[in-house]
Amino acid sequence: MGWDVILILLSDGIANGAIYLLAGLGMVLIFSVTRVVFVPFGDVAVFSALSLAAFEGGKLPGTIWLVLTLAAVASLCEIGVLLRRREPQKIARAVLQYGVLPAVPCALAAVVAATQAPQLVQIVAAILLVVPVAPLAARILLQPIADASSLVLLMASLVMHFFLAGLGLMFMGPEGFRTQLLVDGMINLTPDFSVSMQTLLMVSAALVLSVLFFLFFERTVSGKALRATAVNRVGARLVGIRPARSAMLAYICASLLAGLIGVLIAPITTLYYDSGFTLGLKAFVAAIIGGLVSYPLTAVGALAVGIVESFGSFWSGALKDVIVFSLLIPVLLLRSYYATHSDEDEEEIDQ
Amino acid sequence: MKFFRALTSVFIAGTVTMAAPLASFAADLKVGFITSLSGSSSSLGIPYGKGFQAAVAYMPEVAGKKVDVVQLDDASDPTTAARNARKLIVEDKVDVLIGTPGTPSALAIAGVARELKTPFICIANAKLEGEEGAWMVTVPQPTPLMIQGVIDQMKLAGVKTVAYIGFADAWGDIVYDALSKAAPAAGIKVVANERYARTDTAVTGQVLKIVATHPDAVLTGTSGTPGALPYLALASRGYRGKLYGTHAIINPDFIRVGGAAVEGLVAPTGPVVVVDQLAASNPTRKIGLDFRAIYEKTFKTVPTDAFGPYSFDAWLLFADAAKRVGNKAQPGTPEYRTALRDAIVSSKEVVGTQGVYNYKPGQPFGSDQRAVVMVKLEKGQWKYLGQ
Amino acid sequence: MNASIFRKLGVVAAVLLALAPLLLGGFGIGLMNDIGIGALVALGLVMLTGIGGVTSFGQAAFVGIAAYSTAWLTTTWHVSAWLGLPFALVLTALAALLIGMLTLRLGSHFLPISTIAWGLSVPLVLSNIEALGLHTGITNIAPVRIAGWSLQDGGAMYYLIWACVGLACWFCRNLLQSRQGRALRSLRGGSALLSSVGADAYRLRLQLFVFAALLSALAGWLYAHNNRYVSPSPFDVHASIEFLLMAVMGGLGQLPGALIGAGIVILLKNSLQDVLPLISERGGQLEVIVFSLLFLLLLHRARAGFCGFVLRHMGSRLKPILPPQIAVAQPLAMRQQPLAGSKILSVQGAVKRFGGLVAVNQVSFDVSAGEIVGLIGPNGAGKSTMFNLVTGAASLTHGSVHFLGTDVTKLSQRAVARLGMARTFQHVKLRPQMTLLDNVALGAHLRTRAGLLAAGLRLDRAEEARIFHEARVQLARIGLQGREHELAGALPLGTQRMLEIARALVADPVLLVLDEPAAGLRHAEKQALGELLRQLRRQGVTILIVEHDMDFVMKLVDRLVVMNFGSKLMEGNPAAVRRDPQVQAAYLGGTA
Repeated sequence: MGWDVILILLSDGIANGAIYLLAGLGMVLIFSVTRVVFVPFGDVAVFSALSLAAFEGGKLPGTIWLVLTLAAVASLCEIGVLLRRREPQKIARAVLQYGVLPAVPCALAAVVAATQAPQLVQIVAAILLVVPVAPLAARILLQPIADASSLVLLMASLVMHFFLAGLGLMFMGPEGFRTQLLVDGMINLTPDFSVSMQTLLMVSAALVLSVLFFLFFERTVSGKALRATAVNRVGARLVGIRPARSAMLAYICASLLAGLIGVLIAPITTLYYDSGFTLGLKAFVAAIIGGLVSYPLTAVGALAVGIVESFGSFWSGALKDVIVFSLLIPVLLLRSYYATHSDEDEEEIDQ
Repeated sequence: MKFFRALTSVFIAGTVTMAAPLASFAADLKVGFITSLSGSSSSLGIPYGKGFQAAVAYMPEVAGKKVDVVQLDDASDPTTAARNARKLIVEDKVDVLIGTPGTPSALAIAGVARELKTPFICIANAKLEGEEGAWMVTVPQPTPLMIQGVIDQMKLAGVKTVAYIGFADAWGDIVYDALSKAAPAAGIKVVANERYARTDTAVTGQVLKIVATHPDAVLTGTSGTPGALPYLALASRGYRGKLYGTHAIINPDFIRVGGAAVEGLVAPTGPVVVVDQLAASNPTRKIGLDFRAIYEKTFKTVPTDAFGPYSFDAWLLFADAAKRVGNKAQPGTPEYRTALRDAIVSSKEVVGTQGVYNYKPGQPFGSDQRAVVMVKLEKGQWKYLGQ
Repeated sequence: MNASIFRKLGVVAAVLLALAPLLLGGFGIGLMNDIGIGALVALGLVMLTGIGGVTSFGQAAFVGIAAYSTAWLTTTWHVSAWLGLPFALVLTALAALLIGMLTLRLGSHFLPISTIAWGLSVPLVLSNIEALGLHTGITNIAPVRIAGWSLQDGGAMYYLIWACVGLACWFCRNLLQSRQGRALRSLRGGSALLSSVGADAYRLRLQLFVFAALLSALAGWLYAHNNRYVSPSPFDVHASIEFLLMAVMGGLGQLPGALIGAGIVILLKNSLQDVLPLISERGGQLEVIVFSLLFLLLLHRARAGFCGFVLRHMGSRLKPILPPQIAVAQPLAMRQQPLAGSKILSVQGAVKRFGGLVAVNQVSFDVSAGEIVGLIGPNGAGKSTMFNLVTGAASLTHGSVHFLGTDVTKLSQRAVARLGMARTFQHVKLRPQMTLLDNVALGAHLRTRAGLLAAGLRLDRAEEARIFHEARVQLARIGLQGREHELAGALPLGTQRMLEIARALVADPVLLVLDEPAAGLRHAEKQALGELLRQLRRQGVTILIVEHDMDFVMKLVDRLVVMNFGSKLMEGNPAAVRRDPQVQAAYLGGTA
């Protein structure tokens, strides 16, 4: 294994790691606000990639129907809740929020699909199109059980993944898609080793977004409000933070992040309707290494997973996942040893 | 409470489904078709389903009898496939089973077919020999036959070393087996055996290892769109050797995703893929064109993959065997199934889209050299190279 | 209505199951076989996840190890399927032991992902082994035979599978109602609770883990010889997730939940397969979508699964069944209590540092048998830390603690409990869903020995009777006789505190250590508590009470040790302490 091979594998690993990092950030964001491990995160990313592929093929993306269906159902749920609470005057605003607002990116997407819009517009349209998916799906499927035990939330999240992947298969078919490169060309770092611009784009996007995340959560009031909701829901309500609204905000941000990830990886990977699972899983691993609370450790975990995966596939392609997960266990042991471990971690199951 | 009631009704529905045998139309034939409409094999399963639909449209009546078709989805899971097979045989009392992509699922169905003594026409590349395979025939060409075609082409091109990269699944194993057995006889050395999972997004490590061995050619044991990944990776590493594939990658999405990286790829396939380039004397030409016509009529598009024709041929085999059984037994009875099985495993010169079939008891495959054509991918189209 | 209605329902269900093959067709029997196999794995999950708190995404891997073991053994060596059973069980148990020892020490977030890790790895490794048929698997596995007759004929495997399910249910039910079972049901209460009664949470989890793996192994053996074909894909993470779905749908908290959940999932999938193609041409693809939606709707309405739903709507009307009050020939052995007046606890120069903060600074005091000693001080004085140092919950930086002549400075909570120190908690740690009797009986953990196997096979009935006799005695002592059947979660706080004391008393302690027992109690409750403690002292129980409320302890204790800012301020009888100007200054903030 010469140096050139090592460099190639390393750059590949770092590029994949950058993606896992972004996905990990999204997962930690949602978990820290809602205690939900959002498994369908990968599915949202895949939807954005497939929508972009549809634009490039001049077809109407199936995601439009997905978003419109979710919007309709969410509006109905919200109306039902408001009627039960006898607050009919809020119905108009609810319909606007859950019904009309998500339809805007759908309309934009329809326009983009019909005309031959430039690549940048297509990308923006694809990202915006999937932004409503996570919040709407969460509103319909997770909000009614928002205070359940974390095991129930985890199971709900897993089944949501099957649900969204199933919808993906129905609307977009079983075949894979790639999109055109966002930026073309290679850069020569050393005389025999070059890195594609796409890789550099991915890594820099990851860095920039991580820094933004950090600043948002540490320095802004909304960010701190989001963290407060995660630590103690009741306490947050007592100081005027609305947990449901914080959750929506978290889902919207995560959806945006997922959309971005989708368009970043679509040019270099063939994505299928069920590719979201492995993406979500690796991101989850990275998030766990960060203890689901620490962003810097999530970054370290993501890079580690990417690099180990890259070298592992060199060593044995078929057993690559075994290598990644076997090495995970000692890391977890180390991490668990150093994590603060309180008895409050034990939770009763729902009765 | 409402929920409770709803759940009870589901329970009852389930029990009724289990308990009540469905009425069987004694005079009509019944066919059970299992395919994967969801899950990891769906990219093959859905085309298989379409081919089957075309076949039913082509020949709705067999041996003068109406045919009832029951189709089930096995979600690419062998346990579900076995359960479906059992359901079709016990509940729907089908006379023959046809199905399914994915070797493990097909083997699972074969087990049930053997236990319940129902003939099974397998459209995946699975084989069971001797006593175990007494109730099953396999439609697709045997992989060694196809690989021999590839080896012959390699010999022609002067290839001395070949690297292999395939799926980490049964198909990858089958192709590698065939390659490692056929290559030495032609003086070709297999220098690498790399694998990757269908769902993997990158094969950088594997391709780096392959490129390091400087092979003259690379053969992939993959299928469908995920099969394009190694070619893309090889192209990005600047590999300039010859590219070969198997008949499982003949599908338009593969070409779409592969783009320039798969230009010049040589693969074996069945004659139907290049039917309009076949000579007029080729026995499969007429039925291949018929297939194309009925497919266009049913789906309003041209058939572009090589999977659908296998289900079409399965139907033809069934029809031919049923004709020979005639009225010797009553459909829906165990005697009919045994008679049908005997007829299927002794099929002679049944002309299908993917070749001419001849079966013998104890031998799973029925294809011969007429079932293999070599094609080359040029500018997004498969060009006929020869047989 | 008595909870024995469930017992009757169980008998009815058993009869129906026995008669089912006569009523159902071949396919129905096939479905029931699948349900039975799934129920075995789900049963393991109810025990492991529902009760033990270990969310496992890897049970299908154990099914796979067992299935492949028996498949390999019977096809390569042509031996009877019955030999494959112990082979599969042993191999799976070893694998589970290895994996459990590596991963069960992980904390709550990290553990599930470690289960995904090996849940993913095991099928991948299996599919890369040449001798196991790589990805194609092993075909033509021999069926199970009895006296030369194959169980495959006539669907007789049904009886074998459901006999196994029945046995497993019986074993689990016995296990949960035993000494080990009470400890297992306390796993979700935290390791502090378990350590205080002398149980090792890690060892309990490991036992449970291997047990659940053995149930999965049994399912794997049955799967291999029923389907007679194994390949890697039915044992991957998706299968594990489906088993977990079964357990959640049926109800993680109840054993029947496993069977009901397995039934719901498999029958629902079957019904959808029949119904959906009639509605739409894309029926196959709709199955997953509709199934997921139905599951999520179920979760909305019934978070605790089907069984939880039923219990919630009927539970309030049910009286739990109590174990019968049998006269015991020989009650549990009592400890040799030390002579009154002898020194039992001796703390010398205890120092505890947390980084730069000195929480406890050179504190020394003694406790002699038969007296009540109070450890008091204002907030932040270091009382809780001192308490933890005495009970072994925290380790000393310097100094020593001697208990009954033994140096316990370096010993764990469990070891200290074994020597005869019983404690209560400031934040009450009771099991809210267990009865008062069960909660109190937990305290007898160290006085008895029946393990998992004896409990499951019901060999521990005599010992159980003795435990309950003792528990009833202690319940009477604190004035709660006749209320054994109530659930602990329904009690008011004062009564819960007393119940904890009863649990501590069941351990037959030499020293009873109470952590702020009066905190948060109403006046009447405090009086009742004080009366109880005085009564206990009259009966010769030695008590060390850490308390913040001056008023409460003054009327109660023989001697007081006063702490302030980590150091011992003074020691003496209540009157002397009250007069002391330093104490007054500490509590009231004196003038300089």
